[in-house]
Amino acid sequence: MTTVRTEELRAPAQGRSVTLVDCDVHAQPTDQMLAEYLSARARRLLERYGRRTPRITTWYPRARNAGMRVDAWPDKPGHIWGSDPELLRAQLLDEFGVDYAILEVLSGQDCYDEADFAAEWNRAVNDWQRERWLDFDERLLGSIAVAHEYPDLAVAEIERRAGDPRFVAVLMPSSAAEPLGARKYWPIYEAAAACGRPVAFHTGGYVDHRGAGYPSFYLEYHVGNGIVMQSQLAGMVASGMFEAIPGLRVVLTECGVAWAAALRWSLDRAWELMRDDLPKLRRRPSEYIREHVWFTTQPIEEPEDPRQLVAALSQAQLEDRLLFASDYPHWDFDSPTQALPRAMSPQLRQAILCENALALYGLPRERPGELEERG
Amino acid sequence: MIDADVHCAPASYRALYPYLSEYWRHYIEEAGVRLTAVEHAYPRGAPTSASPAAREQRGGPVPASYEALREAVLEPRSQRAAPLGAGRPSTPRHVVLNCLTGFETHRNPYFTAAVASALNDWLREEFLARDERLRASLVVSPISTDDAVAEIERVGDDRRFVQVLLPARADLPWGNKNNHRIFAAAREHRLQVAVHAWGRAGKAPTPSGFTTTYLEDYIANQPIAQAQVLSLVAEGVFDRFPELRVVLVECGFAWLPPLLWRFDKDWKGVWREVPWLKRLPSEYVIEHLRFTTAPAHLPDDADAIAQLLEMLPAGKLLTYASDYPHDHGDGLGALLEQLGEEDRKAVLEGNAAALYGLG
Repeated sequence: MTTVRTEELRAPAQGRSVTLVDCDVHAQPTDQMLAEYLSARARRLLERYGRRTPRITTWYPRARNAGMRVDAWPDKPGHIWGSDPELLRAQLLDEFGVDYAILEVLSGQDCYDEADFAAEWNRAVNDWQRERWLDFDERLLGSIAVAHEYPDLAVAEIERRAGDPRFVAVLMPSSAAEPLGARKYWPIYEAAAACGRPVAFHTGGYVDHRGAGYPSFYLEYHVGNGIVMQSQLAGMVASGMFEAIPGLRVVLTECGVAWAAALRWSLDRAWELMRDDLPKLRRRPSEYIREHVWFTTQPIEEPEDPRQLVAALSQAQLEDRLLFASDYPHWDFDSPTQALPRAMSPQLRQAILCENALALYGLPRERPGELEERG
Repeated sequence: MIDADVHCAPASYRALYPYLSEYWRHYIEEAGVRLTAVEHAYPRGAPTSASPAAREQRGGPVPASYEALREAVLEPRSQRAAPLGAGRPSTPRHVVLNCLTGFETHRNPYFTAAVASALNDWLREEFLARDERLRASLVVSPISTDDAVAEIERVGDDRRFVQVLLPARADLPWGNKNNHRIFAAAREHRLQVAVHAWGRAGKAPTPSGFTTTYLEDYIANQPIAQAQVLSLVAEGVFDRFPELRVVLVECGFAWLPPLLWRFDKDWKGVWREVPWLKRLPSEYVIEHLRFTTAPAHLPDDADAIAQLLEMLPAGKLLTYASDYPHDHGDGLGALLEQLGEEDRKAVLEGNAAALYGLG
């Protein structure tokens, strides 16, 4: 397993330690921006026939500020929220002193496309990410977007980016054609583990599985993101993928976190009764979750008594597995100065805001400088 | 003690023939339809499908006759049936029967409605007419609101039916406005509603798609139930039907506190979308939803259970269920140990008595 060594790129800039890592930040290209990176064939397909599935935002319109912070629209022609690196730098990196921000570009997540187009589209996302963002500010880190429904093409894209240590994760949706534990996707996980990247499963995707039927409201859909992830995590554990890919680390992103304890209990209790149903597992299900699974904070559950959140994290053994995320520029953005309740000890806050992410992504402790400062 | 979930089912469709028309009897014979479609939910060999004691019962673990039910649950001869431990009641004052047969997976709405009616007639003749301790859930079609309402109208005045039985896995979440007539009919007949684990099958049996192991499928009832909680509250069901209580049966409950923390938080952000809600979502849940104690999937140690109970008003929300003949492990005993005397009484009897008017 190769370890990502971001420090290779960076001289210890100002000798100041990293204090804040934001593990879920959304840069968002317009289709026109990505079109620049597409072949003539793919551009023509996009212009003439569009993409195959309506986006989930049209099923469940975001009921608050169209889903975005009201101040997140750049005053620049052709731009949308999340498309302008300068605005993001001002509103997030500079305003809050974010030392590292991990970008998750969701453009490839919620659509099924023809294979070659899907591969090109995700390659374009990564090229755009690299040229417009990673080259723009050293504090920005990328996630490798992949055509997840075509694992061979996804693996090729991971291998294409693996040499660039600024891409620190592989990005997957929380809902796909098959359950995320399905063997179909294992080559993607193997490739990620082989190059030392965690796989970030970000809430969203083409949410076509429901169990209880389709809900009516964004409120249900949005709270339901945590419900979908519970089902996915149970399936991942049951599939044996953590046994098969020992180096795999996954980050469940933007799906809540406090539910993890109850899921661990139910998996363990069920496994005690039916371990022969999961012959691939050699340990209790909760042990795989403990070892292989990280969570991001936003939108973290907020009990009336914040001490109950601390208790829930402890029940799920997540103190060293929880990563701060602001979810900029979404409407429910979490400020790093206000999102974590005071009931958390200073040590726990520091772990969540910084230490856990440094350990997971192998990031250097020294604060990166800005490119222009370094000339 | 009141047992809010005991299973029964006819041994075969033949037991329903007295209550089915000639057309449907021929349909069943010709197509070879069998009452075994529930085996995906309760595979015969799975340890969760039947306790060791239930497996020893003549005629199989799921009672198919009053005699079998009496021997297994109402007046058990073996001491096995001291499920609540020494010094606690071993036989129930009342039992609520849930009849799951797998018919709820059928796509033919006419057949589904006919079987629902036959099951209710069978429940009345075989069980309810023979023992005053017995109550039952009223079986309805889960795929036709018209048929569900018609069945409630047909038998809902029989006070021995205490609630309408809906499956947790549905084509449309139960709170959806297209289902509100079911709740209206239920309340007109002073019935409550039970949402029971399992149900519809097909393209999307769980929120993540198909499952490849039984354990995943079994666990999936819990996230699916959470989606039903969101639906029932968000769609304003409890604003429209303030006397309605919905019992989640065999869906677990330890998952509830974090769900409500998130639900309340999100509602504060996007309340405009559901303007009929007048209170925090969690307040509707505490007032209107109840949960049976099975499965009690709880942490290993007593301190962690105590911590969970600080987050979950168990004495108000939970109602005891043996879930006979199913076996979900021994979480219930650990739960009862942690409850104070008053809460324990409420869980074992008081909550169900209030819910079903069994004072």
